[in-house]
Amino acid sequence: MSSEARTLTLQSCRHCGAGAPAQVHFCPQCDRILTLARHGDYFSFFGLPRKLTIDLADLEQRFRALSRQFHPDYFYNASTPERLASLERSSYLNDAFRVLKQPLDRAEYLLKVEGLPSVGRHQDAKELPAGVLEEVFALNEELDDIRAAREAGATPDQLMARLDAARRPVEERAARQEAQLEALFSRWDRQVDEKSSPDVRRATLESLRDLIQERSYIANLIAAVNRERGES
Amino acid sequence: MSKVVGIDLGTTNSLVAYVGKDGPLVIRDGSGDGLLPSIVSLGANDVVYVGREAQRRLLTEPLRTVYSVKRFMGRGSDDVRDEARLFPFRLRGEAGGVVRVGLGDREFTPPEISAFILRELKRRAEEHFQEQGEFDFEVDRAVITVPAYFNDAQRTATRDAGRIAGLEVLRIINEPTAASLAYGLDQRKTGTIAVYDFGGGTFDISILRVEGGVFQVLATNGDTHLGGDDIDQLMVALVTREMGAGMGAADPSPARLQAIRQAVIQAKWDLSERADTEIRVTEPGGGDAGAPMFRRSLSRDEFERIIRPVVERTLGPCRLAMADAGLEPAQIDEAVLVGGSTRIPLVRRSVQELFGRPPHTGLNPDEVVALGAAIQAHIMVSGSRDMLLLDVTPLSLGIETMGGAMSKIILRNSTIPASGTEMFTTFVDNQTAVDIHVLQGERELVSDNRSLARFKLRGIPPMPAGLPRIQVRFQIDANGILSVGARELRTAIEQTIEVKPSYGLTDEEVERMLLESFEHAEADVEARFLIEVRNEAETVLRATEKSLRNPDLAVAATTDLAPGELAAIESALADLRSVMESNNRAVIEQKTRVLNDVTRHLAEVMMNRGVRAALTGRNVNGI
Repeated sequence: MSSEARTLTLQSCRHCGAGAPAQVHFCPQCDRILTLARHGDYFSFFGLPRKLTIDLADLEQRFRALSRQFHPDYFYNASTPERLASLERSSYLNDAFRVLKQPLDRAEYLLKVEGLPSVGRHQDAKELPAGVLEEVFALNEELDDIRAAREAGATPDQLMARLDAARRPVEERAARQEAQLEALFSRWDRQVDEKSSPDVRRATLESLRDLIQERSYIANLIAAVNRERGES
Repeated sequence: MSKVVGIDLGTTNSLVAYVGKDGPLVIRDGSGDGLLPSIVSLGANDVVYVGREAQRRLLTEPLRTVYSVKRFMGRGSDDVRDEARLFPFRLRGEAGGVVRVGLGDREFTPPEISAFILRELKRRAEEHFQEQGEFDFEVDRAVITVPAYFNDAQRTATRDAGRIAGLEVLRIINEPTAASLAYGLDQRKTGTIAVYDFGGGTFDISILRVEGGVFQVLATNGDTHLGGDDIDQLMVALVTREMGAGMGAADPSPARLQAIRQAVIQAKWDLSERADTEIRVTEPGGGDAGAPMFRRSLSRDEFERIIRPVVERTLGPCRLAMADAGLEPAQIDEAVLVGGSTRIPLVRRSVQELFGRPPHTGLNPDEVVALGAAIQAHIMVSGSRDMLLLDVTPLSLGIETMGGAMSKIILRNSTIPASGTEMFTTFVDNQTAVDIHVLQGERELVSDNRSLARFKLRGIPPMPAGLPRIQVRFQIDANGILSVGARELRTAIEQTIEVKPSYGLTDEEVERMLLESFEHAEADVEARFLIEVRNEAETVLRATEKSLRNPDLAVAATTDLAPGELAAIESALADLRSVMESNNRAVIEQKTRVLNDVTRHLAEVMMNRGVRAALTGRNVNGI
């Protein structure tokens, strides 16, 4: 489904029955806080397009402004349905802010709402591109060798030198991934602006998903090297 | 309209405040004291004493008098077994159940004890509003503060205490956040502040971003069992050890233990103002009442050596909170001190070192939390939207998974209200119920975390194993308190959830306690007058004793005082002390007047010396 179609989804006011677009928080007719609709997403809740580049200062500004609109502190005297709506909207706002302010969480969330299967949890080495796979095997072998060398009584200096050498190519790849991630963010945002076809956009999202998967694999490797450094 | 107040329900002292026409104000008792000692004592015929009177009874009725009850809020009897021996009153309760405090032949839960304190504050506030000529002076709603690091069980216990005291608890808010509201009200600025709250029994650190009237907590950390109490216990241990060596009294009676405790607390206070003092313990009761039992000089250096480990325990949580907020000490614009223990010079120096700047000390650290609570109460009932608190949950919330591990659903330092969902299914065909164990904490294993509750999800429609999809929704509200709801998604059937709090009271128990609380008589009007007169006498006694302990006194006595003046003061002091236990109001009043008159000149002399020292830029102790 395209992001434009979603913003047309209606919610209805439980109090007066009037209809309202999914991204508004108060009934246009009776001004009461609306019960949280199930159709919107974190982006539309903040009044933002489904884009990956977000100005953090602007996001914080919106977060504070929305908090001021429906925090439960301000609904203490309201009716029970309104109090519940205020609690639900505030919770949703806080959850949404937490996710949108972190670029990777934001990207994974976008993949989810765009209907791509979740990523990051159970990556399988088989799914990795050949280049990455080779690097992973090479590094794991080197780590085994380093452990063996430590058992055999190598000095910490020798171990550190080998660990640093082993870490370098992986870190270079991590840096390349960051650049690729940024490029994909921009590509997606451009395609949203240009209203590119669903197939074109889907391809971008699939690249994004694969990159995130690779990235978490590489991050685990760096963590493993750093653990070894800690023990040396 | 009935009144709303803000209450700081502290480990050592409690306060009540409200927002009047001229801003937030602490409500004081007849002798001008805003602090109500958080002490409750059960007298004959079940008369309940709270505050200063209960504090006096610590010495005479140590087994019927309870202090520091906040330490036991929301805890199980198993949790406190080790701590119990440090307290003269009895702590009991069935294994796996709520702690109970034994007073005389009665037993009370910590929320019931706290409710006595809350009722006393409610009464104090109502008297104040009545004197102000308010038509409807009833106080029926309150915002109550808790340490930021309190878990769900401790927060729930605090809310229960409010209900038992007949108060609608508008909101439970965190003490450091409340302090920041009172602080921000004065400052009206934008920036990042660290609130270092070191009280009688708890320690909190909160890092906040203040912008456009929104006070947003970025991270919080702390220790709910670290406070001035721990400092006192180290000092009590020192005195009993040294007494034991000299007098063969290694295991003092409860009354003597209280006398030692009060003496070391006095010395601790002295050392916040002076470089040297004396610990002076006198016999608490019986025929030898007032006779010296132990004396020892104590320098600030030695005191700091003894308490340094306690102060250093506060620094770890500070570093963790800054890491969680993603900030370096240099990015903190201001450090604010809250809680009586921040008067200790070593504490101030440690905070200054940590944040690389002198902490803000412009606000009374004892009162700032109550003032903030009053502001929050005002925000909620007035409809004013000038300010907004956005707090976080201090601990991660999760559930037990296979193998005794904890799976986290809402992470610590998430802004509240916050929610999280988890899917469950069945393992056996036609299974209609699932057990869920809810936990709070940061550790991997269930056994290392706090058990909050066990739920049984019932009414699952009979289906083959693995087919039901039960969505359980965890909701943390703006009080930091958890509620749970569940739906089976295939049939959209809402599930019934039975909540058995691991260490809490059921709604029925709270209701019953509310009814029972009316059966406990409060001291009647005549007794109250007596208590007020004793409070006044105590104030004068303390001030005089403080002057007499001043190292400057010896010099002052020879240069500024008339011959025999000191002897007259000491005799008036002994006179008043000897009638303190009596029930004769007129006699106590008269002896108080005598002592007050005879010490007036001494007070002037000491004050002049202080002023002179300040003017010449020299330390009083250096003169």
